[in-house]
Amino acid sequence: MAIYQHPLIASEYVAALSPFVGDGGERFDRRRAAHLLRRTGFGGNVGEIDQAVRRGLEATVDGLFADDADEEAEYARTFGAVAGKLTSLSSLEGIQAWWVYRMLTTRVPLREKLALFWHGHFASSQLKVENTELMHGQIELFRRSAWGSFGQLVAAIARDPAMLVWLDGQSNTREHPNENFARELMELFTCGISHYTERDVLEAARALTGWTIDGTTGVFNTDEHDAGRKQFLGRSGRFGADDVIDLLLQQPATAEFMARKLLRFFAEPDPPAEIVAEAAQTLVRSQFHVKWLLRDLFMSQYFYSERCLRRRIASPVEYVVGALRMLEMQMPADQLIYFLEQMGQRLLAPPNVKGWDGEAAWIDTGTWAARQQFARMLAAQTDTNPLGPVFDPWRLVPVEMTEPRAVVKRLSDVLMPGELPAEARRGLTSFLVATDDGPQPELFREDESFRGQKIREAVTVVIALPEFHAW
Amino acid sequence: MFTRRQFLHAGTTAAGASFLALADRSPGLLIRAAEAARAADRNDRILVVIEMSGGNDGLNTLVPYENPAYYRARPTLALPKNELHSIADGYGLHPRAGALAELFGDGLLAIVQGVGYPEPDRSHFRSMEIWHTGSTKSPAPLAGWLGRCVDAMPADVRAAMPALAMSNMVPQALRAASVSVPAVEQFETLRESVGTTDLPAEMTRKLSVKPRAKAGPAALIAQQAQAMYRAAEQLRGAETKYRSTVAYPETEIAGRLQKVAKALSADLGVRIFYVSQDGYDTHATQADGHGQLLQDLSEALKAFLDDVEQLGLGDRVVTMAFSEFGRRVDENASRGTDHGAASCLLVAGRSVRGGLLGKYPSLEKLGDGDLLFNTDFRSVYATLLDRWLGCPSEPLLGAKFAHLDIVGG
Repeated sequence: MAIYQHPLIASEYVAALSPFVGDGGERFDRRRAAHLLRRTGFGGNVGEIDQAVRRGLEATVDGLFADDADEEAEYARTFGAVAGKLTSLSSLEGIQAWWVYRMLTTRVPLREKLALFWHGHFASSQLKVENTELMHGQIELFRRSAWGSFGQLVAAIARDPAMLVWLDGQSNTREHPNENFARELMELFTCGISHYTERDVLEAARALTGWTIDGTTGVFNTDEHDAGRKQFLGRSGRFGADDVIDLLLQQPATAEFMARKLLRFFAEPDPPAEIVAEAAQTLVRSQFHVKWLLRDLFMSQYFYSERCLRRRIASPVEYVVGALRMLEMQMPADQLIYFLEQMGQRLLAPPNVKGWDGEAAWIDTGTWAARQQFARMLAAQTDTNPLGPVFDPWRLVPVEMTEPRAVVKRLSDVLMPGELPAEARRGLTSFLVATDDGPQPELFREDESFRGQKIREAVTVVIALPEFHAW
Repeated sequence: MFTRRQFLHAGTTAAGASFLALADRSPGLLIRAAEAARAADRNDRILVVIEMSGGNDGLNTLVPYENPAYYRARPTLALPKNELHSIADGYGLHPRAGALAELFGDGLLAIVQGVGYPEPDRSHFRSMEIWHTGSTKSPAPLAGWLGRCVDAMPADVRAAMPALAMSNMVPQALRAASVSVPAVEQFETLRESVGTTDLPAEMTRKLSVKPRAKAGPAALIAQQAQAMYRAAEQLRGAETKYRSTVAYPETEIAGRLQKVAKALSADLGVRIFYVSQDGYDTHATQADGHGQLLQDLSEALKAFLDDVEQLGLGDRVVTMAFSEFGRRVDENASRGTDHGAASCLLVAGRSVRGGLLGKYPSLEKLGDGDLLFNTDFRSVYATLLDRWLGCPSEPLLGAKFAHLDIVGG
């Protein structure tokens, strides 16, 4: 188990990616701070973006990894108070709502973001597992692991009861090896296709025999373990689960596969080979402690280059949670689940073991319609709705700000700092004063409730812009 | 939970918004769509593709009930001869696929046996990619086999709605280079989202359909936004025009096929439909689940063919159902089956020459424990492309594949 015993000491660490120095005259400005907060979480509100710029890049990045000791206790109290009444973790919708609520409210968004990454990576579905306790446990494993050791996470996932059900590990026995988990362990979880043979799949399945479920925990049953000699990836031995995982983590292909996957999620859909190579090196040198690659990446020149800025497409979760966080707006999490599903992302029920394809595959006629519908729904949350969530325009725009052009500038600062296209700025400036009876600039200046409603509607127009979904 | 109705209402702030209002505001687009639909000749043929996702166990779909090797390989999963629907000497359909047996008896169903491809890949994703792109090359082509067929259609057909996916996402098979094929699992969402014509909706439309960049995510999204408005206009009448007395079962696959029938009744000029049915990855305790899937599929297919007949389109619609691979001949210890290779494939419709095609693969001579294919899946594609859709298959598939005697001549 050499792989995960020596956590790297920070002082030994030298960045592989060139650090962001702003030598082209760029600064860590609001646009770049907003980018960092989008990628490492769900976007920042105005105050959070301002704070990031004030603190500077390094302090902000270190802050991303800083856990908040009080937060767990707060959540425990909150969920304890509502358990069984407003929500329940014993239904799929209940766990989805629990997780979305955490994403909406957490002060450590990077932890939830990484849990989301691991959920997509080790994509398991309640639809087959059919046990919400196990699924909830798996998400908690991802949350705990977050930016920690990938090796430990793989070892834990091989014993994870939800995974044992999902990929039939529990029926992988000495007499009858079941290859399902072994194959995906290599193809999707570590080294990627074409770095192993069919024989390796079978031998890995043998090595993994014996891991099964007792009640709701993963246990090792010696009787069902094939203790014989195995030939795996060119090595021979009486391998067990951890040996297979160790050997897989030693494959250069694994470092590269994971580096590319992390870069695709955090940086850009198509990272260049040399960046992948450097990131893979960092993973190897840090013994797959993901934090070091991420810290390196978030402080790199590359991460703030035009290659990465707004080059991803927001996943439904990023879009929905992101919009609400930027707007400093609360909505009952269980209502959001339905929107997410319409947009093609059912948390804890990914389409298959490969997870969500993401990027261009997120957007088609149907899912785009659902994204627009969500935007429109927000504008309808006025203060005349006594029970529902309220979209308060005066949280975003000072009530004394009555110049349309200034309001548009402000909305841009809130939602797309420095990036609202000129055509949209022009369109929105006239839209703010438009009525069915033609433009009425005086009404906008003088009537606070008209102005408030117009601002709500303008916000929905902004978040329905294609550019807003370029994340 | 939000109900669908609440969801729809939440998105609507303007009362009385409708598709008609939308159409009034964009006569140009509507006229173009109508012209294109007219241009699509009344006699144009339609292909409906059903994806049986996960790897269908062909051996328990069409059972070789006289073969002792079958019973040896499947100690708990073998289906007893007396429960099968025998359709040929020694071969019977799954006990719960009675509707398929009926279609077969009526000469409306062809079953192609031993379908696969060389060097079978047992990964869902890779094998699905091979089936979707009609290519075993790696890296796989970006456009799918049906997408490339769309690309080869005349411009006026492409300008209407050449293909439609009844899913939430466009399958790889339908990715085309020339157009964005719409995915419209939820007609209603689309209608509500596009049908509203208040000021914010108009501003959104104005700002979202014209790409401001040549490439990149925003340009790609703008293209989909454009496709969304167009699809909504075209599907406007699909549900109001539809009249049918056929009772579909209350299953997901039946619902999807009924949506196809609705779109067919609106005569939009759609040539290719794509639907899928999930759940065939039966690694454990397969018997019940697999039976249910086959029953759902059979009954849905039967209802759909009846409906298409009632719509007067019986001779214009051919339906093909495929899966990315079959399953291991030997059952596993979990009373399930692992990923395999060759399997059977279904082609149905009044224009189809019913019967068994290809050869049943040997249960003794196996490749790594799996059935060996004797009919390349691209032979099925080539037949449907050349003889049914009238789209030359050789350039599309990059090679010439022998035709099967399923349709045309």
